[in-house]
Amino acid sequence: MDMIKGLIPGVDPQDFTHGAPVNLSRRSVLRGALGIGAGAMVLGFGLPSGTARAQAAATMAPGSNVPAFLEIRPDSTVRLLSPFVEGGQGIFTGMAQIIGEELDADPSSFIVENAPAGADYLVIGGQMRITGGSMSVRMSYPLMRKLGASARAMLITAAADQLQVPASELTTEPGVVIHAGSNRRIAYGDLATAAFDLPVPDPETVALRDPATFRWIRQPVKRLDVYDKSTGRAEYSIDVTVDGMLHGAVQHAPRLGLMVETIRNRDQVAALPGVHAVEILDGAVAVVAQRWWTAKRAVEALEVDWVEGTDLPKGWRALPADFSSDAFAQELAAATGPETEAEAHGDAPGVLDAAQTVISATYHSQYLHHAQLEPPSTLARFNPDGTLDLWLPNQAPEQYQAAVAGLTGLEPAQINIHSPILGGFFGRHFLYPAASAYPQAIELARRTGRPVKVIWTREQEFLRDPMRPMAAVRFRGTLDDNGMPLAIEAVSATEGPTEAVYGHGDSVDETAVEGLSKKAYAIPNLRIAQVYVENPVMLAYWRSVGNSMNDFFYESFLDELANAGGQDPLALRKHLLRDTPRLTKLLEAVVDLSGGWKRGPFTAEDGSMRARGIGMASPFGSEAAAIAEVSIENGQVRVHDIWEVLDPGAIVNPMLVRQQIRGAAALGLSQVLMEEARWDKGEPVARNYDMYSILPPDQMPEIHVGILESGAPIGGVGEPPLPAVPPAVANAVAALTGKPVRRMPLSRLRFDS
Amino acid sequence: MTQRPDSPLKKRFSFAGIALIILAGGGWFVTRLPSSPFDGAAPQATPDLIARGEYVARQADCVACHSLEDGAPFAGGLEMGTPLGSIFATNITPDPQTGIGTYTLADFDRALRHGVTPDRRRLYPAMPYPSYEKMSDDDISALYAFFMNDVTPVQQAAAQSDIPWPLNIRWPLALWNVVFTTGQTYQTDPDQSEQWNRGAYLVEGAGHCGSCHTPRGMAMNEQGLDSSDPDFLSGALLDGWFAPSLRGDGAAGIGRWSEDDLFAFLSQGRNDHAVVFGSMTEAFNNSLQFMTDDDLRAISVYLKSLPGQGPGWQAQPATVTSLVEAAQSGLPGAETYMANCAACHGRDGLGQNEWIPALAGATSSQGTEPASQINVTLNGSGRVVADGMPDSYRMPPYRDRLNDTQIAEVLQFVRSSWGNTGTPVDTDAVADLRMRTDPASVAPIVLQMR
Amino acid sequence: MQLNINGQTHEVDADADTPLLWVLRDNLGMTGTKFGCGLAQCGACSVLVDGQVTRSCVTTVDMLEGTEITTIEAIEQDDVGARVVEKWVEHQVPQCGYCQSGQVMAATALLKEVAQPTEEDVRAAMINLCRCGTYNYIKAAIDDLSGRKGEPL
Repeated sequence: MDMIKGLIPGVDPQDFTHGAPVNLSRRSVLRGALGIGAGAMVLGFGLPSGTARAQAAATMAPGSNVPAFLEIRPDSTVRLLSPFVEGGQGIFTGMAQIIGEELDADPSSFIVENAPAGADYLVIGGQMRITGGSMSVRMSYPLMRKLGASARAMLITAAADQLQVPASELTTEPGVVIHAGSNRRIAYGDLATAAFDLPVPDPETVALRDPATFRWIRQPVKRLDVYDKSTGRAEYSIDVTVDGMLHGAVQHAPRLGLMVETIRNRDQVAALPGVHAVEILDGAVAVVAQRWWTAKRAVEALEVDWVEGTDLPKGWRALPADFSSDAFAQELAAATGPETEAEAHGDAPGVLDAAQTVISATYHSQYLHHAQLEPPSTLARFNPDGTLDLWLPNQAPEQYQAAVAGLTGLEPAQINIHSPILGGFFGRHFLYPAASAYPQAIELARRTGRPVKVIWTREQEFLRDPMRPMAAVRFRGTLDDNGMPLAIEAVSATEGPTEAVYGHGDSVDETAVEGLSKKAYAIPNLRIAQVYVENPVMLAYWRSVGNSMNDFFYESFLDELANAGGQDPLALRKHLLRDTPRLTKLLEAVVDLSGGWKRGPFTAEDGSMRARGIGMASPFGSEAAAIAEVSIENGQVRVHDIWEVLDPGAIVNPMLVRQQIRGAAALGLSQVLMEEARWDKGEPVARNYDMYSILPPDQMPEIHVGILESGAPIGGVGEPPLPAVPPAVANAVAALTGKPVRRMPLSRLRFDS
Repeated sequence: MTQRPDSPLKKRFSFAGIALIILAGGGWFVTRLPSSPFDGAAPQATPDLIARGEYVARQADCVACHSLEDGAPFAGGLEMGTPLGSIFATNITPDPQTGIGTYTLADFDRALRHGVTPDRRRLYPAMPYPSYEKMSDDDISALYAFFMNDVTPVQQAAAQSDIPWPLNIRWPLALWNVVFTTGQTYQTDPDQSEQWNRGAYLVEGAGHCGSCHTPRGMAMNEQGLDSSDPDFLSGALLDGWFAPSLRGDGAAGIGRWSEDDLFAFLSQGRNDHAVVFGSMTEAFNNSLQFMTDDDLRAISVYLKSLPGQGPGWQAQPATVTSLVEAAQSGLPGAETYMANCAACHGRDGLGQNEWIPALAGATSSQGTEPASQINVTLNGSGRVVADGMPDSYRMPPYRDRLNDTQIAEVLQFVRSSWGNTGTPVDTDAVADLRMRTDPASVAPIVLQMR
Repeated sequence: MQLNINGQTHEVDADADTPLLWVLRDNLGMTGTKFGCGLAQCGACSVLVDGQVTRSCVTTVDMLEGTEITTIEAIEQDDVGARVVEKWVEHQVPQCGYCQSGQVMAATALLKEVAQPTEEDVRAAMINLCRCGTYNYIKAAIDDLSGRKGEPL
């Protein structure tokens, strides 16, 4: 529980799980999940068939009910229902490695799909599961090892029974139980039927493999999904079809909070060839048609009069018609109000007030889109038995299931949440009000009596994608006689995503301040506080959450202090981390990786003037340090190289970790260089990638990667490499130009070449 | 739903020019009320007449200036920039206090065809009365019937112009009218067909095509108001868009278009040569798409009769056909074209049938005025709505993805490839338009009249 | 109208201006080609038309009669495409994978045009967006295919 609260402060795990536990048998579960993986057409399936082997999930601790997770086919292929969804981070492969290691099955023999909603899968602290917070491996590692070991024990028990030998005489090799005495071997596939009818052993009693003998954990095991993803075979929510399905397209109100007053040409549009229905929904109009393209064109033809809504659905924020993000940034910078302390020691205000020289600066971050490449979609189908099937991109099946139960009046057990792999997520597919297509798809399926798949265009997505929060941070700092930081105060005017989604409370929202708070530097007097300012727009988690902006603020201001005190930024950091061996080692590692510290400005081989900057971050239980090398080209910043070292304590797959470092670094770079979701006159300025640039290939530097395994408790991987990159770039630019960079993105600024 | 693109009528008037013709005149003359054939006439309001009036309102595109996307129909408010300050379109709903509710039919006629209000004030010729004066008495009384009976009155005072005294004195416009208007309704040309005359009536009158497409003189007067003048509809630059020649000019006009091509363009907003874009999008969405096939056919016949000059565009094979070739060619702009433009407009610049316009041979790719190409590249184009159906494909703005140099280079590539003969594009011109313009709306915009 | 897709003739009933992307996905059930932006900005919808990389979200079907269309579903039937897939697997390029159909098509088109593209050729031709940031891996795979094998990432 504490762990969960620490991960998503302020969130009660019950929020993710309310609704009755779902006791589905293994068979119905597997059949349901099988349908989606087996091809384009999903056949109907019913509720539990009631076989004796189905064990009531509620009687077993989450994460231990072997048949709910594993199926071993006659050819010894292992089907795993992963508690975490694959969205690019490689978790399906990681889960196969961890479970395969203990099950004694080669990860390459695994087929992995996302588990449906159900109590068996609440593997995070036994309370909840989300795919996010960089939690998957670190939260489930011991549990998944035990799960694999339990399954292996069941196979051995079944083999002992079949061979009529004591279990103690049996061993395994990958996929095979062996009786050495009689030189007999039985493939797992031949044992699975009997084995998974056996009671699951107490997970605390099963023996785990000595890590020294690991064959797959810590190895660069190849991803299980790469071939399918290189040949178009991988199936995402947007690709799913069922028999009799119609297609839905929507036109959202230009501002959240507006509702339909009237559709002027409803009858004309309804009469268009291929159009099945024209419908009015909350804050949207929809067309259901035989083909999606027909629906999309028809819904754009609807002439809608919008009116301010009076009774908005829960959690919706009515956006003012004159809302401007630029004006809001100024409002944040000037915001006064109660300051809630997130961290304080010494007497920063006192020291600063008494100081002769105070370095002050206001920093800004911007709203961001998730801009995952797969647009949101939902396929909804009501079944004759009263159940509802939903296929939709999501990072939290139980949360969605509970929300759909509330929406429809169905019991959670009647709602089957299918979670296909995600075409990117970055925080986009948590449950946010007004940000998902599922209420629309459900309502259209109900009204038409047919399965309906709703797909949002990119333009409709950018109208409803909730934003990474914006912040204005007022820093004050002062130095001691040696030019080292004596006091730092940071007051951030912002709203964290957690308080935005779940409600603002009395305590500080850690997702608002993480990255300002909990820095490892030894600053004698420190105060970090938040001024809560409610945003008119909807907010969301975004890869690395608060850290995505806060480390930029802090690390950049730290460089300002270094400059003011005549200190080299690397030397300053080493000094401030002198009592933190793990981070000292990390700093040394990234400097070594970059070929030695060279701040510049210096002239590169191609004649360009360049400089390097450094940034650090401590997100999600891991530690990261990055160095970036930049020049100015045509008035804009070009990043040539990034060197980054991540210390997640311990790792499962170095290849996946390297991928995540490169990917997260690219996203951090994209943010600092060019991303900004601007709003003007109550509407987003960008409705597609034309006006919302994301990092294109020709701006991608080479990311040089290092991994440290300090042996600290295992930390996150997917998000932690991001936050160190923006400040590394900003500090390099400041070193090159002599001017601090106090806002993202850099594309808003012009530089002299 | 988002920002409205610049209006074609956001004209920039040269008051320096107007000043030239300000001469002392009889106070009586400049403040008189011109006579109207409707003086003392009783207005009529049959359903047929009102319906006809609604159609005339579409022909005359009254909403273009007198309605705002987010406002009530005809309640006014559109800001038109001038070098001296802004003027604002007025409320023309039948509201008695702030609109035209107290106008008699004769008052209405004088405002529409002579630019004079009942209180004897002169309208700025942003109101295209030099064209509207050609409208028939029947159309005027129909329009009046529509406005008085079917337009919802809205109490909303027009914003006041911020043009300072003495430049805001309006009586000299009476003299301007003497010089630059004919004071006559459309006169049928007996040598031409009925269809041709109908087309001429619409183009020269209610359609006021010349407001954008005819070059203006020193006093902001249109240099030609009918087919007898070779400057009429010969192309003009207005507010960041170059409205091309509608005459038979080979490369710069519609000389290569057949009458059927013209008809397709006017009725569907697209043909194999071109697709409506820029400020024409508003004229199409709010006016042309509502017009009958007979009227659009008549316009086609008439426009096709206007003679032009110069040889037509001659296709030349593309010099570059792939990204790799573009990267290797060293041609400035070629790689940018291949990466950003070719997916839709084709490696051969020929576009895709009538759906996505050709750049090879396009009038905007020729000549000395690249404003439209710069503008549409920076800002994209609004959605074209034909018969109520928005287009399948929109031109996205590139202001965020390409810098001024890249846009200048890519347009230079376009204007010098495939036989195009346009002059080069200056980076400063791109920078200037970038400052002065906004990206087009993603949402289709059709202004409602009721 | 008739479309030749992956060597097979398909009778397609669609409006002339329907984008190829939606004919593939909806009419023909070939969902390997992805919808990302609908505006020729991201490249997820890339297919080959007569060997040239083409963004199917802005390509009208009436332009395609008489052409040979290749989609990701048949990419391995092409010798070059098969090599690209092999290297994509070897270099473990995809993460979420959503853009990768388009990336593989773009790489195939490039290598079909020039067997050993220079780095400049690669930069010019590989312009599709990837939100996961797999660009280093894409480059490594193509460098390998171009005979410039570096250290594996």
